[in-house]
Amino acid sequence: MIPMKEDITQSSTRRIRVPRMLLFPASVLVLYGILYAIYPDKTSMALKSSGNIFLSMLIPLALVFALMLILNLFLKPAQIARFLGKGAGIKGIILSATAGIISMGPIYAWYPLLKQLRQKGAGNSMMAIFLGNRAVKPFLLPIMISYFGWIYVLILTVFTVTGSIIVGYCVGALLRNETISPSKHSSDGE
Amino acid sequence: MGVALGKTSLANNLDIVMKIAISTDGTDLEAEVAQRFGTSRYLLIVDLETMSFDTVPNPGATGQRGAGMQAVVLAISKDVKAVLTGHCSPAATRQLTKNGIQVYAELSGKVKDVINKYKTGDLKESAADVPPTTRGAKIDTITVLLALTSSARQFAMMLPILISVVLLIGLFNAFVPKDLLLAIFSGNPILDTFVGACFGSIFAGNAINSYVIGGELLGYGVTLFAVTALIIAWVSVGIIQLPAEIAALGGKFALIRNGLSFVMAIGIAILTVAALNLILR
Repeated sequence: MIPMKEDITQSSTRRIRVPRMLLFPASVLVLYGILYAIYPDKTSMALKSSGNIFLSMLIPLALVFALMLILNLFLKPAQIARFLGKGAGIKGIILSATAGIISMGPIYAWYPLLKQLRQKGAGNSMMAIFLGNRAVKPFLLPIMISYFGWIYVLILTVFTVTGSIIVGYCVGALLRNETISPSKHSSDGE
Repeated sequence: MGVALGKTSLANNLDIVMKIAISTDGTDLEAEVAQRFGTSRYLLIVDLETMSFDTVPNPGATGQRGAGMQAVVLAISKDVKAVLTGHCSPAATRQLTKNGIQVYAELSGKVKDVINKYKTGDLKESAADVPPTTRGAKIDTITVLLALTSSARQFAMMLPILISVVLLIGLFNAFVPKDLLLAIFSGNPILDTFVGACFGSIFAGNAINSYVIGGELLGYGVTLFAVTALIIAWVSVGIIQLPAEIAALGGKFALIRNGLSFVMAIGIAILTVAALNLILR
C-alpha cells in the first residue's frame, strides 16, 4: 500500500472497499439463489457451464500464480517507481513502458504514487505511457493465450505497447503548456 | 535484476514512502519503544505526514526461532521507510537494509518522542555490514517468503471477482438467448469495435475478467474486433476510476488520456484483427 497525502480519506475508503469488493460476488450468489428457486434446471445448467469454464482455466491459472510469484521475487513496486521517475527521451519512454508492463495490483494503488512522481517533475507523457502499458499483463498471458492463441496475443501486445506510446506522446503534446514541473520539458519525453 | 535495493533506496531518492515502523509493547504513540525489534508485542506503523498509525501484532512476539525474520517480513510488507527500535539483530538489520529500510536502533523513551527525533533528523542510522557479494543476485528465504505472501494475496484478491464473473457467464449461457447479444453486436466491424470499446471503458477491474468475458463472447459469435476493443479499453480506459485519476493527475490529463485511449482501443482492435487475418491467411 502506498501512502498518500489524503491518508485519512484513503483509510476510510479502504474500510468501505473491502465489503464492496465482496458485494459483487455476494449479489451473484443471491441471483443464483433466486433463479434456482424459480428455474432449478436452467440454474443447474448455468452452474455446470461455469464449472466447465473454470476447469478449463485451472492450468492457465496455475501458470498465472507461478508468473506472479516470479515477478514478485524479482520486482518490487519501489523498483518499478524508480523506473518511472527517471530518464528523458527514448530512455524515459522505455522505462515508463516497462514500469507499466510489470506493474501489478489495482490501479488505485498506483494513483498516489503517480501523483507524487508528477509533483516531482515526471512528465505527462510518461504518466500516460505508464497507464497505457498497464494493459499488457505478463502474468496473465497464460489465460490470454489459452483463450486467443499466442499469435493474437503477440500482435495485440506489440500494438498495445506502440499505441500506448503514441497516446502518451499525444497527451504530452496536448498538455505541453500545463506542465506543473519546474523542470519544464526535460522529462517530458521529447 | 537485483533483489536488494541497497542503502540508497528509492525511499531516499524519491521520498515517496512516508511510513515507519516502531517496535513497542504498547498500542499507541504514548507507549515506550520496546527493547527488541524481533520480539516486541507490536509494531506501530506510523504515517509521518498524518501521524496516523496502525498497531500491528508482531508475528515474532512469541520469541520462537526465526521470530526476528517474521518481524522483518512484516516491516518490508508494510512498505516502511525506516525501523525504529531498541535493539535489532545484525541479521535483521542486514535484511532490512537490503530491502531499502533504514534501521535506527539503541533507542528508548516514548514512541512519539522518538518519532519526533527521527523527524528532526536527530537519530543516527545503524550501519549494516552487508557483504557486497550477497547484494542483488542472491534470493534468500525472506525474499521468497515475501514474494509468496504477496502473490498469494494478489491471487486471492483476484479470485472472488473472477469466480463471480465465471458464474455470471454461466447464467448468461443458460438464460440469455444468443440472439440478444447478436442484436447488440451486429457483425459490422466498425460498429462492433465501437460497442466493444464502450463496454470495456465502463467496466474495470482485473484484466483477467476481460479475457474470460471476451473469450466467451467469441464463442457466442461476437467478432474479434469487438472483443479486442473490449480487452484493450478494459484496462486503458476507465470511466469508473476517472474521478480517482482526475484527483491524482488532474482533470485535463485524465480526460485527454482516456479519450485518446478510447480511440486507440478502436484503432488497435482493427489493426490487430487485420494483422491476424493477414498472417493466418
